[in-house]
Amino acid sequence: MKLASNEFLQAASAALQEQDKAQRRTIIGQFLPLARDAAASAYGDFDGLRAHMKRVRRHTTAHLSHYLEQFEEAAVQHGNQVHFVANAEQLNSKVLSICQAHSARRVAKGKSMVTEETGLNELLLKAGLDVLETDLGEYIIQQAGETPSHIVGPALHKSLAEIRQLFLDKHKLGDRDLDTVSEVVEEARSVLREKFLAADVGIIGANALIAEHGTSMLVTNEGNGDLCANLPPVLIVCTTFERILPRAEDAMALQRLLVRSATGQPQTCYTSFYTGPRREDDVDGPLETHIILLDNKRSDILASDYSEMLDCIRCGACLNHCPIYIGVGGHAYGWVYPGPMGSVLTPLLNSLEQAHQLPNACTSCGRCAEVCPANIPLPDLLRDLRQDESVQQLKPARWRNGLRLHAWLLRHPALYQSLTGWAMSVLGLLGKRRGTFRRLPFAGSWTGQRDFPAPEGGGTFMRQYAARRRRGGKRG
Amino acid sequence: MLRADAGEVNVAESVRARLFARLREQEASSEPEQIARALAALGHAQPARAAHADMHTAFLANVLANKGTVELARDRGAAVQAIARYLYQRFRTHKLVAGNDPRLAAMPWRDGGVLPRFGAAENGDSAALSYARVGVAETGAIVTFTGRANPGRNNLLPEDHLVLINREDVVATLEDAWARIRRDTVASGWPRGIQFIAGPSSTADVEAQLVMGAHGPRRWHVILVGDTPAEALEQASEGIAGA
Ligand code: SF4
Repeated sequence: MKLASNEFLQAASAALQEQDKAQRRTIIGQFLPLARDAAASAYGDFDGLRAHMKRVRRHTTAHLSHYLEQFEEAAVQHGNQVHFVANAEQLNSKVLSICQAHSARRVAKGKSMVTEETGLNELLLKAGLDVLETDLGEYIIQQAGETPSHIVGPALHKSLAEIRQLFLDKHKLGDRDLDTVSEVVEEARSVLREKFLAADVGIIGANALIAEHGTSMLVTNEGNGDLCANLPPVLIVCTTFERILPRAEDAMALQRLLVRSATGQPQTCYTSFYTGPRREDDVDGPLETHIILLDNKRSDILASDYSEMLDCIRCGACLNHCPIYIGVGGHAYGWVYPGPMGSVLTPLLNSLEQAHQLPNACTSCGRCAEVCPANIPLPDLLRDLRQDESVQQLKPARWRNGLRLHAWLLRHPALYQSLTGWAMSVLGLLGKRRGTFRRLPFAGSWTGQRDFPAPEGGGTFMRQYAARRRRGGKRG
Repeated sequence: MLRADAGEVNVAESVRARLFARLREQEASSEPEQIARALAALGHAQPARAAHADMHTAFLANVLANKGTVELARDRGAAVQAIARYLYQRFRTHKLVAGNDPRLAAMPWRDGGVLPRFGAAENGDSAALSYARVGVAETGAIVTFTGRANPGRNNLLPEDHLVLINREDVVATLEDAWARIRRDTVASGWPRGIQFIAGPSSTADVEAQLVMGAHGPRRWHVILVGDTPAEALEQASEGIAGA
């Protein structure tokens, strides 16, 4: 997918103008956090579960080569072919060569953010393959020629009316109403059912890899990934090496966190564990299975100060809780991963230079870190990226100098206090008559939306605090 | 890597080697026994708070919460009757597809007038029946293994998925379920697919509205076989109505 993260500001401004989409996002921002909170409190000690998972992750990361080797060995023993690939091109061409080896024409895909990241579809389509996304949300945006706006619900930005029109245009099925959500789902079901049955190759992602059995875990509600994994004669699992966990029970702990954080369910409709091609006793299932393990800079991230970002389980909770994401939507972020997790991942998986606006798309409110089931300190990572941005001189000089001046001033409290005290008095005097300011120098965008209240007598907080202490040691 | 030519194999090998070298650089070297001990010391997660003190009631309540329907059957004879009723009410037929599970083959089908086709489900089949290996009270899920006894597609292709689960196969937590899975696969070997199912296929991808029957079954009907008091089902249903 083409990277357009440095157009964040323009894209965000444009998104803010779209009333209809903004309203749908507001609903996401209200409804999904409620569902998550209800599920977390019904669970009991959800924070304990988060802490447990973190310990398991630390242990796994500390012995990653051990577990990866164990996984590979078990997977090969079960008849899988395991491939390590370094980057997007290698993953895409590996998939293509497997398809070509089988003279495949039709590919059915389950939801996979990794293949979004590598732009797999584009390459397969160019090679003449018929590639179909089968997750309903992914299918809708594929038909519309768009990209996902949310990592869990890729088409949540689209209205029923838009999807209806899209289906009327794309599916030549004659006159029909198609004006309820059920009818739309029903139509997609029947169109896609045929595709599942005809597919030569199925491609799925993995929510976790289990070292002890060489198994991959797939978590879905629609069952589309399971159809991809059970019907076509060839199955390709595209994932990244750091999804690895030691035991099935660890994958269960992850699943408990993931599902509650994403949709508020205790378990999705389908949680499946696939371990290779058809066995002697099997009457269905793929004849050949491949597991492709992508690196794509993850080994760099692992060695960096941002390694905790690899604990992300792609639940989307940080998106649903982020005022910026809810305000501007996923497309403004200009790549595959939006919201707080995307603002960290996009610069790391591409380069800070190409995406340095994203870490600034943060109010430091901290809600993402509060709900992140993987306990990733997202606001800290974003701050560190902003620091890197400054060090690498990616910010305009005016900003950098301003920040430097501010930092210097903060390190000289006496000067800081007398300067701010002076500024308060001036503002207080100037604004005495109206009580507010309509415009202020250096704060044009702030006062563009609202008035700035003039400070009342008494001066800065520090001055008022000191005065109060003198009056009687009251702490207020 | 069977089909790859030599050039491709070399690239793949070097990617793998480089990754492992990179990882080992950052890891303190430890013996496998040490790692195993450290892992065991981590223990397992605390399961979710039980929906009900009685495990079977909790299981039923969670199946209902997952938008499934439930029924109690004293024994396999009663289960056949329940299935016959269900099929007739839903489809006005007694057609059913079921895997080659000896437990299913041995059921008194004739008494209910049901004649199952034993084998893999096809597109267009209205109902399939599975005999679950394990039921999980914690989440209201049932577990099946792919194989002759339950081909993977039987869980996915039909309009309705019917599931039998024996009372004694219901366990409290997801960890207990894995303990059972490990025990039950010692003799038969690790299956190709292990599927936890917790509801009919569903989607909320259009305007965040929940719709059943996304790609797989539209309905999911669970029959708990064994001596379960009727109150268990009443209490399970109350929990849902009150929620
Ligand atoms: S960063 Fe945390 S909250 Fe965000 S998607 Fe990843 S796991 Fe979920």
